[in-house]
Amino acid sequence: MIKVYIGDRYVYDVRSYAALARGAGTMNGLGLRASVTAVLAALALTAAACGSSGSGGGSGGSGGTISIGVPVPLSGDYASAGTDILHGAQLAAKKINASGGVNGKKIKIVSQDDACQAQTAAQAAAKLMSQGIAVAAGGYCSTAALPELSAFHRAGIPFVMDASTNPQLTEQGFTDAFRTIGRDDEQGPIAASFITKFLHDKRVAVGNDNSTYSKGLAESTVSALKADGAQVVFNNALTPGQSDYTSFLTKVAQSKPQVFYYSGYYPEFGLMLKQAKQLGLHFTMMGGDANNDPTLIKTAGSAATGALVDTAPLAQFLTSAKDFVSAYKAAYHAGPGPYSSYEYDAVGAAAQAIKTAGSTSPGKIISALHGITSYSGITGSFHFDSHGDRKPANYIVTIVRSGSFAAYKKLDLSTGQWVNVS
Amino acid sequence: MSAFLQYLVNGLTSGAFLALVALGYTMIYGIIRLINFAHGDVVMVGSFAGYTMVTTLVAQHWPVAAVVLVALVAGMAITGGLGMLIERVAYQPLLNSSRLAILISALGVSLALEEGARIIFGAGFSSYPNILPAANFSVGGAHASYVQLAMFGLCLLLMLGLYLFVHRTATGTAMRALAMDRDAARLMGINVERTIILTFLLGSVLAGASGVMQGLYYSQINFIMGFLLGLRAFTAAVLGGIGNIPGAMVAGLLIGLIGSFSDGYVSSQWTDAIIFAVLIGVLVFKPTGLFGERVAERA
Repeated sequence: MIKVYIGDRYVYDVRSYAALARGAGTMNGLGLRASVTAVLAALALTAAACGSSGSGGGSGGSGGTISIGVPVPLSGDYASAGTDILHGAQLAAKKINASGGVNGKKIKIVSQDDACQAQTAAQAAAKLMSQGIAVAAGGYCSTAALPELSAFHRAGIPFVMDASTNPQLTEQGFTDAFRTIGRDDEQGPIAASFITKFLHDKRVAVGNDNSTYSKGLAESTVSALKADGAQVVFNNALTPGQSDYTSFLTKVAQSKPQVFYYSGYYPEFGLMLKQAKQLGLHFTMMGGDANNDPTLIKTAGSAATGALVDTAPLAQFLTSAKDFVSAYKAAYHAGPGPYSSYEYDAVGAAAQAIKTAGSTSPGKIISALHGITSYSGITGSFHFDSHGDRKPANYIVTIVRSGSFAAYKKLDLSTGQWVNVS
Repeated sequence: MSAFLQYLVNGLTSGAFLALVALGYTMIYGIIRLINFAHGDVVMVGSFAGYTMVTTLVAQHWPVAAVVLVALVAGMAITGGLGMLIERVAYQPLLNSSRLAILISALGVSLALEEGARIIFGAGFSSYPNILPAANFSVGGAHASYVQLAMFGLCLLLMLGLYLFVHRTATGTAMRALAMDRDAARLMGINVERTIILTFLLGSVLAGASGVMQGLYYSQINFIMGFLLGLRAFTAAVLGGIGNIPGAMVAGLLIGLIGSFSDGYVSSQWTDAIIFAVLIGVLVFKPTGLFGERVAERA
């Protein structure tokens, strides 16, 4: 497993197993390309700095517009995910502007490519600030979001993140960090609740892949399971990146579980689904949100049928996002991707805060964001807690049926019961 | 008891795939004293060649048996050609220079293959369509599929074929002569360049077969898969006594079994540590490996 470091700080990326594979490639042979990128980024920064001194570098927007900065990957392997997010932001701005804008001014979306890389991300944040943004809303990779957050924090500009789930992001004591998506460590109790209160299973095996994300999720799931009265009969890590997990699964089966929860990534879970069927194992298989990837179904084939995955819901699974999905399809002739709806809400919440604050002064926007009691977004109603994390976090359980993920159950917060996703 | 049998079956399956790859390492080392770091990546190329064949033919509704056969043959042909090309371009010009130069050339080939596959097929995973029948049977509580049995049989058959080729044919004898003393072999009228190229062809064909079979059996492949696979296969080649063909076969199966039992009775996290501990242990007591013979150091 490849570890990603920024300075002395360990950062991992929840979304992208492929990034790990890519990272390995980079370590082997693309060092040159990375340094070329760094030089280009430095040049770009110089250019941006010159540009801002030329224009006077005003902040807060002028000439009847308020700028919202969107740092996302627009090149490289995650360009398509970044483009989806940017489209979400543009749809939100269009909607707000159509109903008169904010405080008589139009919202303007300013985007910048962060390439999902730490160095590029720091430059992207600098460029956005030189363009006079009032708020930043966006981000995709946690690896890139971290330096962006530090840069915005130094300038006192609030950053509402839409897709970065690393708990560390909102644990730095910053008052200007927010996110509209749940964080990794909130998933464990949700998974445990589904296993004990819906499946009514008492014997649970838990597996992880020893990465920080996966281990953390496994630990929080295990403690929540124990608190819910279930028996954790197996709790161990596997070595990721291999092809054969039959012996690992045989060992899991020895503990006679009713359900096996895997907190790692889809490549291993896909292989395990396939190999469990081959071994004639019959316990339920459930995975964490890093398993929400079509490769899983392609690899496991018919063996994936019935597999459960808990995840932040896609826009198409939410009734509140129905209009958004059709508007998105009409505008961009493609599906909205996994995070564009969270970006839509990030821009929406930021715009509402600017409205409440009645100004584009960053300090006032930050207190207005904290002051939101219930923002009814397309991904559900939420507010930000003192860390800036979305409350309540939004998770559903999906099930694999006839070759794709289908919405299955969600936790009804008022009754504490698992109900159908309507 | 049923768990023990299951670990045995699992270990033999992964060990057979490994043994095919280990053979390539050991043959090439035997003949030109080169640790061919690109060998694992040749397996990867075989996997992707098979993947391209399988997806194309499945889309045209060919029967499963024909798809598998064509994919296997195509994968073996492509890696065979690739192996010969690599030898001709990257190794032959360096045969008489220092051993370090040729080793670095091998690393370069490995990177070129990995990054080439990344550019063509992307950094993500590719999945073979699941076309093989899933029918399985159980003996004494251990499950195995008929496909697994067939693949294991095919691996053994290929290994037996190689063994007979090397020991019963004139070309095979020439290979062994070359491994003993290149200059003496040349004096005896053996075409050294042709024999070396042939060794690369054989080793790469086996690697291609292993790559396609692993693709069909496990489904999931990516551009970096050759690295870990190559590392384990190389370990098997050294454990069996590098340069020794039956040694690589036995050690390949042995490493598969050690891996499986370690996953089962210790922990998956410890498997690599245990495999390398066994390797070190064997090398301490028998520096030439399990089956290796003492070879006089060549000048």
